[in-house]
Amino acid sequence: MEMIPHVAKARRRANPYLDLGSYDPEADLMVLNLGPQHPSTHGVFRLKLYLDGEIIVKVVPFVGYLHRGVEKLCEKLTMVQLIPIFDKNDYVSPMMNEQSLVMAFEALLGIEVPRRARYVRTLLAELQRIASHLLWLGAFAMDLGGALGGGSTLFMYCFRERELILDVFEDLTGCRFHYNTHMIGGNRHDVPAGWATKVHAAINAIETRLPEYETFLITNDIYIERTRGVGVVDGQLSMDLGITGPVLRAGGVDHDLRRDAPYHCYDEIEVRVATATAGDCEARAAVRMAEIRESIRLVRELIDNIPEGPLGARKPIKTPLAEKATQGHAYAAVESPRGELGIYVIGGGDNKGASPYRLKIRAPSLHVLGCLPYILPGHSVSDAVAVLGSVDPIMGEVDR
Amino acid sequence: MKLLGAENSDAVQELLIEQFGATENSIGGPPVIAVDRHLELAKKLRDEYQYRIFGFVVAAHYPAPAKDANGVGELIRVSYGLRSVGKGTKLATWQVCIPVDGAIPTLVPLFAGADWQEREQFDLVGVRFDGHPDPRRLMLSEDWQGHPLRKDYAIDTKVHPWR
Repeated sequence: MEMIPHVAKARRRANPYLDLGSYDPEADLMVLNLGPQHPSTHGVFRLKLYLDGEIIVKVVPFVGYLHRGVEKLCEKLTMVQLIPIFDKNDYVSPMMNEQSLVMAFEALLGIEVPRRARYVRTLLAELQRIASHLLWLGAFAMDLGGALGGGSTLFMYCFRERELILDVFEDLTGCRFHYNTHMIGGNRHDVPAGWATKVHAAINAIETRLPEYETFLITNDIYIERTRGVGVVDGQLSMDLGITGPVLRAGGVDHDLRRDAPYHCYDEIEVRVATATAGDCEARAAVRMAEIRESIRLVRELIDNIPEGPLGARKPIKTPLAEKATQGHAYAAVESPRGELGIYVIGGGDNKGASPYRLKIRAPSLHVLGCLPYILPGHSVSDAVAVLGSVDPIMGEVDR
Repeated sequence: MKLLGAENSDAVQELLIEQFGATENSIGGPPVIAVDRHLELAKKLRDEYQYRIFGFVVAAHYPAPAKDANGVGELIRVSYGLRSVGKGTKLATWQVCIPVDGAIPTLVPLFAGADWQEREQFDLVGVRFDGHPDPRRLMLSEDWQGHPLRKDYAIDTKVHPWR
């Protein structure tokens, strides 16, 4: 089998289907439930840890505590009605969810999106990436223990900075969180006057404060002790598991849909993809920090060059039955802050084709959590919390 | 015979049609291949065509048509996607079609990521995967009755918290 040259050498991985009967009979195994209600599980997620002393022997993850039946709901609501529902899947980056959904519907219906709308979508995606990674940074500092990052100081600082981006989103869409700003064929809200100045001010503030956070956390000796060499997900394991996004890139695989399969207007701008080779928690954090900086650069490049033109391929949609597809399968994927967020849609459902027949969300967080049984055995319980924080799962998206 | 928005590359399309006898699906979507050659295709795509990132498994339930002259019966169509790595990344997709009580060989020996995706499709659509190392439900509880994404499972089905 020909190896892809830039993939780091595969490391030993644990057996997730380990038969505990074959484990050392002298050992005094203990079962520890981490979750479902636990601050470090980022939602409701349960890990059943089999421990030998403090060392993890086997991990069995349980998901589904947040299952809301979104895919069944998709078969009942119409395509137009679904967009606000999708904000709630990955509630840390709602823009990406809307974009992947409308892109799948546009592919199904064969609608071309005007250039101005594609620009605005790119801009929103990059701003959302900064906000999402900032939330991760604060939560990760909390996961690693109260003293790191000055107790909850870094967490609060990151929320303060994220607030700046939510404010500019509020100016544009009227909502701070669940925007409903995309529609099939274009965008709903046009850029208000003076918005560019506010965006510049927000990203300037974030950029000047980033080095401060790095001295808080990333360069701290205790932080390095707790993350270096911990929870290595090598490139080969990532690809087998279908992991994409920062976790894949931290394992040395140079793969980013923004550059490699350009959507929106990413074909018009250059995206510099951040990678690392170690694949451990420290590398994942470094990749995300580099992505914040890259997104800031992209926002600066985009914000002053939004082209003139219509914001939608059609008049604003006002009725739920406005768009119909009788048949066909379509797939669209975006690079969300967590990886490839794909929507597979089959047309021709209820309401004379206004609903999808079947819609499947390919959630990046689901694949990322799949790595835990492979990498956690051999680590201690405290490392399990650090690893879980570093892969940044969003349970709303995992369970759907 | 294509997946809108993510068409197969010409090389993969040629492989599917010439070596695996792929046929067109009457309602659109990726090319349909025989169930027994499904594993062989996935292995070929991974090893020879460098489709190394696991993409998705999507199962869809089709009830028997009202006037079933050809004896089509109740079907489950399962689409698979694999992604190639790096610049110019493409998606390779195919579809297998099985009767509702049939089974598909699992992809877990080739792609570890198929584990949870196949468990999810078993849970929600009720398609069985032969040789799956851990065939439990993923989203719903172990004692759940039925498979919610089947078309005969009404959205307003009353489910009591006690069973």
